[in-house]
Amino acid sequence: MSTRDDEKPGFLAKPVTRRQVLQGAAAFGGVAALGSVAAACGGSSSGSSASPAASSSAAAGTPNVGGHLRVAAGQGSAKEDLDAHATAYTMQSMDMRFNMYDSLLEFDNEGVLGMALAESIEPNTDGTQYTVKLKSGVTFHDGSPVNADAVVYSFERIMDPKKPGLAATQLKGLKPGGTKKLDDLTVQFTLTETNAIFKEALATYSAAVVPVGYDPKGGEGAIGTGPFKLAQASDFQPGVQCVFVKNDAYWREGGGPYVDQLSIIEFADTTAQMNALLGGAVDYVNMIPGAQRKIAEGAGNKLLEAKTGSWIPFTMNVEVKPFDDVRVRQAFRLLVNRPEMIAQGADGLQWLGNDMYGPFDAGYPKDLPQREQDIEQAMSLLKQAGQENMTVKLVTSTSVSNNAPAAATVFAQQAQAAGVTVKVDNVTGDVFWGDQYLKWGFAMDNWGTRGYLAQTGMGTMPGALYDETHWAPTNQKYMDLVNEAMKTVDDAKRNELIAEAATIEYNEGAYIIYAFDNQVDAMAATVNGMLPDYSGLGSCASNARYRLGWFA
Amino acid sequence: MPPLLKLLLIRLGLGLLTLFLVSVVVFAATQALPGDAAKAILGKDSADKVRYEALRKELGLDKPMLSQYTGWLGDVLKGNLGNSLVGGQAKVTELLKQRVINSFVLVSLAALFSIPISIVIGAFSAVYRDSKFDNGMNIFNLTLVSLPEFVIGIILVLLFATAVFQWLPSVSNVDSRAPLSGQMDLFILPVVTLILAVIPYVSRMLRASTIEVLESEYVMMARLKGLKESRVLWHHALPNAIIPTIQVIAINIAWLAGGIVTVEYLFGFPGIGTGLVDAVANRDMPVVQALVLLIAAVYVLLNLIADILTILISPRLRTGLR
Repeated sequence: MSTRDDEKPGFLAKPVTRRQVLQGAAAFGGVAALGSVAAACGGSSSGSSASPAASSSAAAGTPNVGGHLRVAAGQGSAKEDLDAHATAYTMQSMDMRFNMYDSLLEFDNEGVLGMALAESIEPNTDGTQYTVKLKSGVTFHDGSPVNADAVVYSFERIMDPKKPGLAATQLKGLKPGGTKKLDDLTVQFTLTETNAIFKEALATYSAAVVPVGYDPKGGEGAIGTGPFKLAQASDFQPGVQCVFVKNDAYWREGGGPYVDQLSIIEFADTTAQMNALLGGAVDYVNMIPGAQRKIAEGAGNKLLEAKTGSWIPFTMNVEVKPFDDVRVRQAFRLLVNRPEMIAQGADGLQWLGNDMYGPFDAGYPKDLPQREQDIEQAMSLLKQAGQENMTVKLVTSTSVSNNAPAAATVFAQQAQAAGVTVKVDNVTGDVFWGDQYLKWGFAMDNWGTRGYLAQTGMGTMPGALYDETHWAPTNQKYMDLVNEAMKTVDDAKRNELIAEAATIEYNEGAYIIYAFDNQVDAMAATVNGMLPDYSGLGSCASNARYRLGWFA
Repeated sequence: MPPLLKLLLIRLGLGLLTLFLVSVVVFAATQALPGDAAKAILGKDSADKVRYEALRKELGLDKPMLSQYTGWLGDVLKGNLGNSLVGGQAKVTELLKQRVINSFVLVSLAALFSIPISIVIGAFSAVYRDSKFDNGMNIFNLTLVSLPEFVIGIILVLLFATAVFQWLPSVSNVDSRAPLSGQMDLFILPVVTLILAVIPYVSRMLRASTIEVLESEYVMMARLKGLKESRVLWHHALPNAIIPTIQVIAINIAWLAGGIVTVEYLFGFPGIGTGLVDAVANRDMPVVQALVLLIAAVYVLLNLIADILTILISPRLRTGLR
């Protein structure tokens, strides 16, 4: 069990800077300030000794309570809803849901798996049965208790064969009727096959726990356990805004929420978003384009940058010639000048990728050499494959990512050096995700942050819903390794298998993963407490962490 | 039946026919676009066939095309605009109510200010032709015409809301949960942007027609009778000069009502323009229909009003009806 009790108060997770220490020393005398830092560094998990209520020195960075946090989010849509189990069709609705619901387990902002509504989780020896004990005394927004009945209802709703929830594919092995109540606070999940990443699946946002009878239509009935709640259904206006009030009964010790009100306001245009911050109409802006960083900072705002595990790969479909030839795939990976592509294609808002996904997975092979551009080697590989001076179509779309067409264009320029002609075809979202999606020969895609095995289940292994490359079936050894890892409950052993599988992808795979995305949020100088999140889901401080925000 | 009333009824009937044809065209267009609402909602996730089919069924997209249209039309005839296909499947009227009110207030304010200002500018430019005022206005108007309205808007925001002065709100995210009357400051910059976008067209049209009328024989006659120049202008010349301008005004207001998407984007204004863009992206047929029909109805009505006004103002047409 690598989980840990996640009762670390939010502000303890925030690094205490030298300046804060000095300020504290100036205000309260050295001893008091050092004392509070010592408490902060002690990492006491009880939370009570260092909870914000116990110490109230604002200068040392203790959260103030109160205020209205207004967040300018990107373009929303009328298609948003607050259903805890459906796909979040926009980043904005994901942000809203993070603030309303909790799952049994959760990833913290650095990607470490921990307990949320669960007190503990115990698998049986072969990983086919998981027993979850719930925290006691947790209530939903309507005051009803979080108990085994609610958990059973939630997971039956997710596994409903007529309308499966988003998490259903990840909860591999769980079937309708597989969730049983043992006592009021204990639930048992019985799986039909070993699923070593079942705990990870329980931590996804779409595996949230909702009350019995939950069936939200718009804002009506959207009840969870999260730090913020809707005061009335009409406060949710899809495509316009969503206004929350603080959940005073929030279960987390010392984890906020500190502000009384939270508004997520949707803007169709990033310029308007930034104008809203500059003009003081909002306090916080989600995911600004790289070019706006200077504007925001110049006007005295703060930036928050998050290194995420989201990736925009080039996808080579091995069912389409010439990508069936491993030498062509290897050559294409060597065509890319990655640092240049990050600078030109994404305003520098990315970090280097090494053709493998899941960079935060404990099994990710960090020691493999960073792949670099090598035109000579690429040309020789193409020559061996009989593909000198080849021409290929690269399909991209802004609906993949705003940066995708730019990255495609940069790739086309870089490929010229090896005599490869790349014709960039920038299509609309309807066309890209239409009947040709998963059939394109050479295209791009957009993936969020996932653990390695969860990702293979979504995009690589046979039966994966979004398998663009169809590469895995060409490599039996790889498939055996992944299947073995899926059945290995022992963390260390599983991580070894993952590393071995990822190394095969590094050598022979069909993705070009040149980078992972960074995100930048901007906020007024008065906003404190926000943490960058590794997940790339929602804004960079999101994933329910608006609860940590407070006003100086 | 008085001839004017008869004309009105005929035109209204034709207007209804226009709206019906528009609804057919819109339906055909939404069908011709690649993908459907289920695909638009799910995006990449439509690769998940189980969920895609479940959603299609839920939205009624599995029914034959014709019955989808007749079903919708039947609802409309009963006065029910139907439910949105996406999100919480809210009633279209509920979903759009606030956007329609917002846009209505925005357009009304813009029209209310821009029309009198344009008339005054146009008339004075004509009377004092080639004067410094006229030349100045010409340059002003030509500059405005050549600038797209979002550029005008950005300049206004920089000047009055962010970079230079911070007098006005930089965005206009009208909150529908509070009364509009308390949020009128949010309307100032978008309204001014639209006023500046409309003035050149109307005032230049009015200037041209006023100059023409001022050179006509009956104006010369009025002057020879010794009437004051102001009376010649406001009582004799302008009523005739304004006739061609009425049509230009009508077209401009209709253009405003059509949803000034760029201005809505720039100011984060929740109006019908962004609503329509979103609905088209979502293939949300009932919402697209409702908005397009609303906009078409505004066009039909404004043209009708312009024609009736033209008839009432011009004596020749007025007597011709008798």
